[in-house]
Amino acid sequence: MRNGSRGRRGLRFLSIAVPIAVVLPLLVGFHWARLGWRDEHVNYPSRPSGYTQIVNRFGQPCSAEANAISMKWQAADNGTTYSFRFHRKLGGRPTAMVSNKGGKSTNLDNDVYGHIQNAHLQPYVEHGIYGYACRAKRNGNEWSTHAFGIAIDVSSANEYMGKCTSSVNKNHASIWQKHGWYWGLAFCDPMHFQFATDY
Amino acid sequence: MKRRQAIVAGLVVGVLASAGVMAAAAGKAPVRGHARPVGPALAPDTGTGELLIAVVGGVFASREEAEAANETLVFGDLQGYYVVPVAQFQGFRQQVGEPGDFALVSAFRTEEGAREFADLAASFGNAGAILPERVRSLGGLYAGLGQEADPDGTGPLLGPVAESLP
Repeated sequence: MRNGSRGRRGLRFLSIAVPIAVVLPLLVGFHWARLGWRDEHVNYPSRPSGYTQIVNRFGQPCSAEANAISMKWQAADNGTTYSFRFHRKLGGRPTAMVSNKGGKSTNLDNDVYGHIQNAHLQPYVEHGIYGYACRAKRNGNEWSTHAFGIAIDVSSANEYMGKCTSSVNKNHASIWQKHGWYWGLAFCDPMHFQFATDY
Repeated sequence: MKRRQAIVAGLVVGVLASAGVMAAAAGKAPVRGHARPVGPALAPDTGTGELLIAVVGGVFASREEAEAANETLVFGDLQGYYVVPVAQFQGFRQQVGEPGDFALVSAFRTEEGAREFADLAASFGNAGAILPERVRSLGGLYAGLGQEADPDGTGPLLGPVAESLP
């Protein structure tokens, strides 16, 4: 009698465990295969602090290196696809998801972008996405980090400069930060992520 | 007993004095706010005497109107147009007519630089016009010159090119 009960319990356990053991890896595998993405973390430059280190690590503003790599990113709210450029050291290295663009690392176009997609946070990437620009800081007379190709503005219409809180980018800011980017919310520019501090 | 009272009174006075000093020091501490550290300033290059390409975001009757209009043109966290008197560019009026004395301008030495900025402005919804003919800079206010890449790819273009020389 007891043996029969134990056997039924064992069968019930197996009927649950076997499908889980088979289906779960398949589901995970399907998810990975569909996105074709891995967080590679290959060849990141160390993050500079201050103007001198930025120049030492990334070269002069407006150089050919500063806008060597391009990528596209579609805004979730209005469907606009933005094409922008950034520094060769911050992406463009070939991966399963990124074609060979002659870049040196997997940081931005594979790791940050892929991580945001994989974590299903793309709905929080809104319109106004910008990268390299050979311009000075707004209302300033020194180079913007955009001129070095080491800054990206995301959801810029919603997360405008001067706003000291974040309503959209807060959902994926930690991903940028884990990949070496400094968030401009600290100086009331929540659209802005830069691969440098103290500037 | 008196000795103990004196010690307690001394301690109280000491603590209050320390608190007062700390409060005063805190009051005098500079307000850091959200200021960002700055780098070296861009040289206010006006390209006096050079033939420059002007990207124009609008022309206005007065400086106040031009500045008010410029405030509304958002370029994210980047510097957009500069407010300058149209008279500082020879050949400017001939190309835009007489709509006013102040313009929103960003000046360039290369066509590539002008086109890149015009594209940037358009992407922000602030489309400007690249004047078809180069204008001669007579000096005056800074109009953004130097914010374009040197064609050799080494950095910003900080001096005249063959096309900008008269």
